[in-house]
This record gives sequence, C-alpha cells and structure tokens, in this order.
Amino acid sequence: MPPFERIVADYGPLISRIAMSYEADPTLREDLTQQIFLAVWQSLASYRGESSLKTFIARIAQNRSISFVTKQVRQPKMAELPERLEADTLNPEEEAIELNEREMLMQATRRLPLPQREVIILVLEGFSYAEIAEMLEIAPNALALRLSRAKTALKSMLEQG
Amino acid sequence: MSDFDLDRLGDVWRQQPDPEEMQRLQRTAIAVARRARLSAILDVCAAIAVAAVVIFLVITNPQPKTVVMGSAAILVLLGSNIRLRKLRQVELKGLTGTTEEMLDQSIARVETTLRHHKFTLYGTPPVVLGSWLGFAAASAPRHDTILGGLREIPGFRPILFGAGIAAVVGLIIYLIISIRRGRRELNRLNAMRDAYRQERDSSAP
Repeated sequence: MPPFERIVADYGPLISRIAMSYEADPTLREDLTQQIFLAVWQSLASYRGESSLKTFIARIAQNRSISFVTKQVRQPKMAELPERLEADTLNPEEEAIELNEREMLMQATRRLPLPQREVIILVLEGFSYAEIAEMLEIAPNALALRLSRAKTALKSMLEQG
Repeated sequence: MSDFDLDRLGDVWRQQPDPEEMQRLQRTAIAVARRARLSAILDVCAAIAVAAVVIFLVITNPQPKTVVMGSAAILVLLGSNIRLRKLRQVELKGLTGTTEEMLDQSIARVETTLRHHKFTLYGTPPVVLGSWLGFAAASAPRHDTILGGLREIPGFRPILFGAGIAAVVGLIIYLIISIRRGRRELNRLNAMRDAYRQERDSSAP
C-alpha cells in the first residue's frame, strides 16, 4: 500500500474532479474534498486489493459526494470553475476555449440525473466499461443503456449551451 | 462542441490541476489525515484517562457502591466506544459499496435519527414538567444547603426558572428544525433511490 501522500499525489486530481462534478460552490466543495480525503484515509485499512486502488478511491469519492449533496438544502449552483488549467502547451486563446469547454462540460454533468452522472463521470475519468460495470454492480447491457441515455442527455445539454 | 466524442471530452475533463492547486490539495489531505490521527489518539487517551480515574477511585475507596458505580462507568465507556466504532465501520462499508447500498444505509440512518428526534420532542415537555413538579413537591426549603443558600439570593428562582424554560424551548426548536431537515434529506434520499431503481428497472433485459 503506498503512503497516503503518494495516494494524494496520484489520485488527488481525480478526487478534486469528482467533488467538482457534484458541488459547484467553492466553499462547500472544499468541505466535500476534505470529507472524501478523510473517508479515503479511514477506508485504506479495509482495502484488500480486490479492485484497483483507483477504482476503490473513485467509488468512495462518488458515494461521499452523493451523500454530501443529499444533505444540502438548496439546489446545486452553477458556479464558475476556479481551478486553472495547465497552460504549458496552450496559448491564451486555446486555453480560454478549453477552459470554457471544460466549464460547460462540468456544468452539464452536474445537471444530469445521478445514475447517469455517475456513469458519465467514470467514463470521462477513463475507467473501462468492465471496471464501471463492476464498480456499480450492474450488467454490461444495463451499463450500455445507461451510458447511452447519459450521452444523449449530455449532448443535448452541451448543444443548448 | 457539436461533435460528441467521449474520448476527446475525457481529455478535456482530465486536465491536471496546476502545481499550485496540487500543492493545495496535498496540504488539505495531509491536514485531514493529521487531524484524523490526532483525533484517534485523543479518543484512546481520553478512554484510558477516564478508566484510570475510575479505577483509582475504586482502589482508594473500595466500597461495594463505588465498585458498582465504577464498573458501570467503565461499561458505559466501553459500550459507547464499541458503538461508535461499529457505526464508523458501517458508514465506511457503505462508502465502499454500491451507490444503492449507500443510499439504503443513509435512509435507514436518517429514519432512525428522525424517530429518535420525534421521541425526544414528544417526550421532553412531559418529562421536564413532571420532574419539575416532583422536585418542587419533594424538596422542602432548606437553608443549610448550597441550593438553600442560593434560593436566598434575590431573583435567583425566576432566573433559574427562566433559564430552564429557555433551555427546554431551545431544545424543542432545535428538534423541530432537525426533524424538518431530516425529512427533507429523507425525501431527497428516497427520490435518489427511486431514480436508481427506475434506471435499473428500465435497463433490465
């Protein structure tokens, strides 16, 4: 088991993105991120290597985020993304386009129904369909159907802007 | 963004945070882990300290009454620690399971809390009133006790009465707010679970 610091270095961005896709308010998101880190730290002792560490952490981050948003009384806000992007290979114009695209994608994802949001986040995070089906404990056919609905909904939201 | 390519969207999505953001994440995570470690150590230290005090009191005053009280205190402490650990384990198990399992657990937890709050809400006024009446009837005014002395202070009784009423009203308000919040959370959890069930049923072969 790698040390916690190593885990944060490897999977911190994944945790941050998942928190961002559930909570738009920066202050609440910071709170959520802390709760996810705490849950990961507490759960590491129970990790038996049945799945990859990335899968294990993503599952905790998703579940913690969902339980976090259920506690919020208000509707999710559509706030700006404060996180800056790597600008090494992009000129300011490209960076602005990409930032805008990412922001639109994040906002559209937040508007998806939870079962579809969960699937689309995992796909965007680069998990294979087999890993996602295992993580959500659903059949590959059911996953394909859910993903298809999620893609249609996401596409429609992105086209509407 | 008219073309819909999930691989390309994935590349956009997975943009790495800049080094400053990464450092902030690292700092947050390390602070969280440090606090959790410290809290675990403090829990153990507090339990050891309370147990040591109880044992010390029993040893220095080995009366049957002290032994019974001391044993009861240690049992309550142990029971409370075990309960807390079990609750934490259940919560962590929920976090590493599927979303539906986690939602089921959350619903059960909120329902239990709601029942507890309702019981306290309906039980508090009669218990407080009964205790107060019983206490007032049973305790004859005595001037040789600390309470008797305090009663002599002008305005003490109205202040005490007012503070008691304020505490009960405060508790009732807190419980009503908690129940309302709990109901809203329960509705949201049920709606989410229904959404998952609907999604599952509609994608069943």
